[in-house]
Amino acid sequence: MGYEWDFGIVFRDFDLLMLGLINTLKVTGLALLFGVPLGLILALLRLYGSWPIRIPVGVVIEFLRSTPPIAQLFWFFFALPILIGVEMDPFRASVLTFSLQSSAFFAEVFRGGIVSIDRGQWEAAKAIGMDRNRTLRRVILPQAVKRMIPAFLERAIELMKTTTLVSTISYADLLYQANSIAQSTYRSLEVFSIAAAIYFVVIFACSIGVRRIERYMARTGETTAH
Amino acid sequence: MTEVLRIENLHKSFDELEVLKGIDLTVKKGETVVLLGASGSGKSTMLRCVNFMEIPTSGRIVLQGEPVGREDGERMVYAEKELTLLRARVGMVFQHFNLFPHMTAKENVMEGPKTVLKLDAAECHRRADKYLEKVGLGWKADAYPSQLSGGQQQRIAIARALAMEPELMLFDEATSALDPELVGEVLETMKELAEEGMTMVIVTHELGFAYTVADRVLFLSEGNILEQGAPEAVLIHPQEEGTKNFLRGHGSFRLPTPQLD
Amino acid sequence: MEHNWDFSAVFANKALLLMGLQNTVILGAICLVLGLFFGMFVGMARYSRNPVFYWPSTAFVEVFRNTPVLVQIVWFFFAFPIISPFDINAFTAATLGLTLNTTAFSSEIYRAGIQSIDKGQWEAAKALGMGYGEQMRRIILPQAVKRMIPAFMNRAVELMKMTSLASVIAYGELMHQAKTISTIEFNPIEMYTAVALLFFALIYPAAIAVQHFEKRLAARG
Repeated sequence: MGYEWDFGIVFRDFDLLMLGLINTLKVTGLALLFGVPLGLILALLRLYGSWPIRIPVGVVIEFLRSTPPIAQLFWFFFALPILIGVEMDPFRASVLTFSLQSSAFFAEVFRGGIVSIDRGQWEAAKAIGMDRNRTLRRVILPQAVKRMIPAFLERAIELMKTTTLVSTISYADLLYQANSIAQSTYRSLEVFSIAAAIYFVVIFACSIGVRRIERYMARTGETTAH
Repeated sequence: MTEVLRIENLHKSFDELEVLKGIDLTVKKGETVVLLGASGSGKSTMLRCVNFMEIPTSGRIVLQGEPVGREDGERMVYAEKELTLLRARVGMVFQHFNLFPHMTAKENVMEGPKTVLKLDAAECHRRADKYLEKVGLGWKADAYPSQLSGGQQQRIAIARALAMEPELMLFDEATSALDPELVGEVLETMKELAEEGMTMVIVTHELGFAYTVADRVLFLSEGNILEQGAPEAVLIHPQEEGTKNFLRGHGSFRLPTPQLD
Repeated sequence: MEHNWDFSAVFANKALLLMGLQNTVILGAICLVLGLFFGMFVGMARYSRNPVFYWPSTAFVEVFRNTPVLVQIVWFFFAFPIISPFDINAFTAATLGLTLNTTAFSSEIYRAGIQSIDKGQWEAAKALGMGYGEQMRRIILPQAVKRMIPAFMNRAVELMKMTSLASVIAYGELMHQAKTISTIEFNPIEMYTAVALLFFALIYPAAIAVQHFEKRLAARG
């Protein structure tokens, strides 16, 4: 018994899939936009804050890294609205969740990068009279950020994969669209295969790009700090 | 005297670069042959062709009268199985020792007899004890390589190769990676081996050692044997300009014999 | 707005939650063991110079590393049954997706681990007369595995988080139980908070262990 493949039905709804892809990229992009700066703030707090700040921040970071994103998403979508009386649509909940979730991981990347900068750099800056903040801003971070770029990009790609969860709270990303098309056309095999292929093409292309960048940076002498 | 190794018209190229341009060599049983030459002259490559760590581009290697490989038209074809068996009969000592860090000294020495020769446990232990004693490190049998000095590690490496009771021993710059004060103990071990009649081909920079221990010295230059003969001939009365230049470079600062007694 | 925290409904349903936790652990353990096992072979295939082994294994790894896990699980649950000769329930689909995913990621760990072993070790083993299999078994893998342990533990942590995705296809692990119960009991705040804490209690110790092993490995060198 052979299965009759029919991709035609899928291609009729291709624009819906593309809409889903755009939504996926939207959520990922916004989560990155908020997550990266927030990650930097968290990293600095954890490194240089006084202990009443450092410990809670540490707990929050570990919590965000050691719980499943879907549990976080559900909490922000189902629990938080009731708790603080704020309206939460799928889009807002998604951006909020993934901004926070990614910020925890970015905080670790930042921390690793900053810590990896040679102690001699701090001493040199101190010797010419720079305080800690100025040293960070002018000497440490510029060097650290360069080293951390590959790690950042890898995290960003991870984020693109993680945000597929938003389909579970009915946000119309690529997976959600694929699901609704499959339900109306009964062509699950073709639809989900095409959706998977679209994800693969986008993510693989980004992945290759990152590997190129990593190779380039390794050649010019900058090593990655993880 | 029986001929242990014969190399016929050995050529070896790496991509476009031809490193060995036709080497011929015969080594008899019990002979100690030393290969000298500048970096890039091909001496290590030549050594590594003998136990097929590098596959020759053309030419023949004959071990104990039997040619290695099969002729297929113009080329030689080598079966991996045959090469694996050959390597069990030829011992090699590396510049960087390459001891197995997850095994003790004794386990390193036993590994070949146990896994390759598949000897029984008693024989493996016997050989390990014997050859560890031989290199003077029986008391370090249970030490790990990280706990040993460079000279000790290299002597264990020699014991590891000897435990296979090979027909031929190859030394690839065995002392080049050692701190100077540790070189002597390894060279002593090698000298004893030579005196006991082991057939050896040695690549080294230690000219004094070559002079004292070698039966024959070969000087390689740009992939060819430029000059060969007794140590007295090649090292003290070199004929070729290339050899003379090499020796000139090596002898710049000579220490007169220190009074150590 | 004040909320009256009331965890009573959570405790009332603790049997269901514990069953969910059990299913989480079972799914995670099975996929981890299978994934690490098959990953070894795929890793060796990726390290091979023989194109027959290299290209299929590379394609497999790239596909599973460059698509989202949820998509993989959903594909195995909705798409695969159509061409599959055998029945696919939620557990099977989740296991297939997560195992193959773990296989792909751990194969990279194996490959990197093998590659990190000094070439001299291969040479010494070869010079003694060992064949490729013996070189791998006696010399290379024993040294490589020690280095790979932190990365494997990382995989285990990731996997435990990923099992929660099986809730989407209604496999009765912890997240799914939480969803179901909160719909009946109308206590999403307490339920999802409790479940988040449970996951944390399960996963955080493993994350700490990873850091510990990473430090030990860095110290030993």
